[in-house]
Amino acid sequence: MTRPLLEVKDLTKEYRGIPAIQNVSLTFEAGRVHSILGENGAGKSTLTKMIAGAVHPTRGEILLDGEPIGFSSPGDALRSGIAMVFQETSLVPSLTVAQNLFLGDEKIFNRLRGLYISAQQLLQSLNFPVDPGALVSTLGSAQRQMVEIARAVRKNARMIIFDEPTATLTPEEKQHFFDLLDRLKERGVAIIFISHALEEALAVSDTITVLRDGEHVETDIATNFDRAKIIRDMVGRDLSSQLYDQEGKRRARPYGEKILSVQNLSMGRMVHNTSFSVYAGQITGVFGLIGSGRTESFKVVSGVVKRNFFHGGIINLLGKAIRYRTPSPAVKDGIAYVTEDRKVEGIFETMSIAESIDIGAMAASKHRSWFVNRRKMNENAAHWSKTLSVRSIDNDARVLELSGGNQQKIVIAKALVQNPRIIIFDEPTRGVDVGAIAEIHEVIKDLANQGLAVVVISSYLPEILSISDRILVARQGRVVEEFSAEEADEEKIMYAAVH
Amino acid sequence: MRSFLHNLNQERIVFLLFLAIFVAFSVILPGFLNANNLVLLLQGISVLGILGVGLCVVVIGRGIDLSMVATMALSVAWALQLNIDGMNLYLALAIGLGGAVLVGLANGALIAYAEIPPLFATLASGACVYGFGRLALIHSDLVYVTPAVGDLTLLGQGRFLSIPMPVIVFAVIAVIVGLVLRYTKFGRFTYAVGDNYATARVSGVPVRHVILGQYVLTSTVAFVAGITQAMAVSSMNTRISDTLLIYEVILVVVLGGVGLSGGRGGVRNVIVGTLLIGTFLNGMTILDVQYTTQNAIKALILLIAIIADTLVNPRDEQTAQHGDI
Ligand SMILES: Nc1ncnc2c1ncn2[C@@H]1O[C@H](COP(=O)(O)OP(=O)(O)OP(=O)(O)O)[C@@H](O)[C@H]1O
Ligand SMILES: [Mg+2]
Repeated sequence: MTRPLLEVKDLTKEYRGIPAIQNVSLTFEAGRVHSILGENGAGKSTLTKMIAGAVHPTRGEILLDGEPIGFSSPGDALRSGIAMVFQETSLVPSLTVAQNLFLGDEKIFNRLRGLYISAQQLLQSLNFPVDPGALVSTLGSAQRQMVEIARAVRKNARMIIFDEPTATLTPEEKQHFFDLLDRLKERGVAIIFISHALEEALAVSDTITVLRDGEHVETDIATNFDRAKIIRDMVGRDLSSQLYDQEGKRRARPYGEKILSVQNLSMGRMVHNTSFSVYAGQITGVFGLIGSGRTESFKVVSGVVKRNFFHGGIINLLGKAIRYRTPSPAVKDGIAYVTEDRKVEGIFETMSIAESIDIGAMAASKHRSWFVNRRKMNENAAHWSKTLSVRSIDNDARVLELSGGNQQKIVIAKALVQNPRIIIFDEPTRGVDVGAIAEIHEVIKDLANQGLAVVVISSYLPEILSISDRILVARQGRVVEEFSAEEADEEKIMYAAVH
Repeated sequence: MRSFLHNLNQERIVFLLFLAIFVAFSVILPGFLNANNLVLLLQGISVLGILGVGLCVVVIGRGIDLSMVATMALSVAWALQLNIDGMNLYLALAIGLGGAVLVGLANGALIAYAEIPPLFATLASGACVYGFGRLALIHSDLVYVTPAVGDLTLLGQGRFLSIPMPVIVFAVIAVIVGLVLRYTKFGRFTYAVGDNYATARVSGVPVRHVILGQYVLTSTVAFVAGITQAMAVSSMNTRISDTLLIYEVILVVVLGGVGLSGGRGGVRNVIVGTLLIGTFLNGMTILDVQYTTQNAIKALILLIAIIADTLVNPRDEQTAQHGDI
């Protein structure tokens, strides 16, 4: 066996005296994909951030080529050849894709045309359909991710850490991404891959490590693992319930009252003349590729964006025509929207869990009360933390200090506490671990059983198929096809979404 | 104590700094630690403190109000002028307050509805308030308080249990604003808007109304500060809008740890910042240090506070913002 590229020894990170990672020792080799798996809050991000210099270890050593290293910042790590692809956030939104790719390289920066040509070449070589001249702020999350990856590749990194890279990608983009991983491997790049999609991890990894509660459980070559074993290692027991089962096929809920009807809705370049309805007491799944306008259509419904002023179409809520300019009246009317982009419009970083949830509750309350109800606030927080099993270091933890999956649960709780009539989940299980996905799906099904109109927008077909009673497929800004749960299958939906 | 040190943040650092300076001055400056001087000290910073408490509301909401001092000066000068011209005192005060509220509404509307950045919106509105007010509403830069105001002068010059009234006004305003920020929906929404505007909006917070409310509250507090000031010195000099006072107000707000990035801090931070600046100014005055030198030292203090904060709180938590956790 060759000498490992990077080694961590007895690495520990404590927050306020409580370990997030405890005495973890691992080795990473060049040209291999090493997956790190574990539940939400197991410490995956913390571990990899220490390697990438974004977090400083409390104890322990990191050795690169056998030499101990102590990076003071991610930039520092990058200079030593270790890049980390975070989700979405380290790009400068006001610059173009090309400028972001070459940020810090003033030499090329001076010749703008050269900059765009090199960017174009780089993106093409990676097979990424991104316009180098586009502003990053106009890109969707998948495309931002591609820019991040392209940047790491350009820096000739020897090790690239991907923290949940596939969560925002459509199946086709995922395929591109895995091809890319293969090419990186051939170039001898060591890859750390974090994902909650266990099949993906099994398919792409050479080595798999499982963490639980900050401790190392097992490391082995990937072929010695299967799904059940990983889950057993992750949670410490068997999880009986089968995820993404197709029970919906047998017991689709019947149509309830027509709560929402949308006719000829148009919004900018994203939504063209689309029409659809949503019924109470069932789950309407919405599938579509990037650019299909699925998110935007529902953002119009919930007042987050405005439809076109002229020929914008008609939206009826319980037979009453509505036109919201902001989400506030929509929320009061019982429409809640759970965003797909939690960093940008889902969380309050400085607030505690209870305070965050309480903002949602107060925004929806029809009471003319002017005051905060502390008791109610704590009750709500306790209730939802339990229902969604939110995990944090302590109850006063700020949302920023939660792991990604747990932040997602807070975003969901903040909407559920509003007691909506219609609730729109946009990628509800993004970044959430297997156990929690099952729990969140349970909650979603419960809502439908209670008579709510539930909309689930997802780019993950198995999720759509397992949870929906009715499936809408969007393409190029409009809903083009509708399936009942009985007739739908992956092939039909994919065909409708693409052609 | 251990946990106190463990949780050092800017507010605590500034508080320790305040204690250190206070003790140092008590030891080296004859006449500092003397009841009379301490009362003077407090009186000297009351108006600054009131303004700071008002400003912190918009700063928490990730805004800023550069028109605050102009609003204070002109609304009060107008009220005094109306009174001099023969209007009933309380009607005049109500009209002055109405003027301040209008400025707040205008600021809020420019920022919330026209979506102009607060810095520019209030810079422009401040200039308008001063220019227009000076031209149309009052006759001279300096408007005197006439004996017609009667007992209202007590607000500036009176004492209650031997505490000067301006200090009491400061305390009352601080308590009211503190309670509003902590225990009302409006207060919590202000933090939400300052923390993350997009999240607040999507969650259904009526963000525009909240912003409107913030600027109205700030302007209202400015009016109160102005009345206190005018009664204390028996006049209102509208030229005060042209001074560096507004930067001093921003200094006490930021110094105490109300982050300009929004969503952080509260009235307590402003009080701590005000105490530090007050003690310091008082000491400098006893030492007879020049005004420019005082300014330079003030700037230095701000810098030290910010650097100390960065050193004591390693940026681990902050780096978490660089990506998915
Ligand atoms: N800045 C912080 N302050 C306090 N606690 C933190 C901080 N960052 C992480 N933690 C805690 O450390 C633990 C591990 O978090 P980490 O983000 O590494 O989990 P993860 O395995 O990446 O989870 P996920 O799958 O949800 O992303 C969590 O309990 C989290 O609450
Ligand atoms: Mg994570």
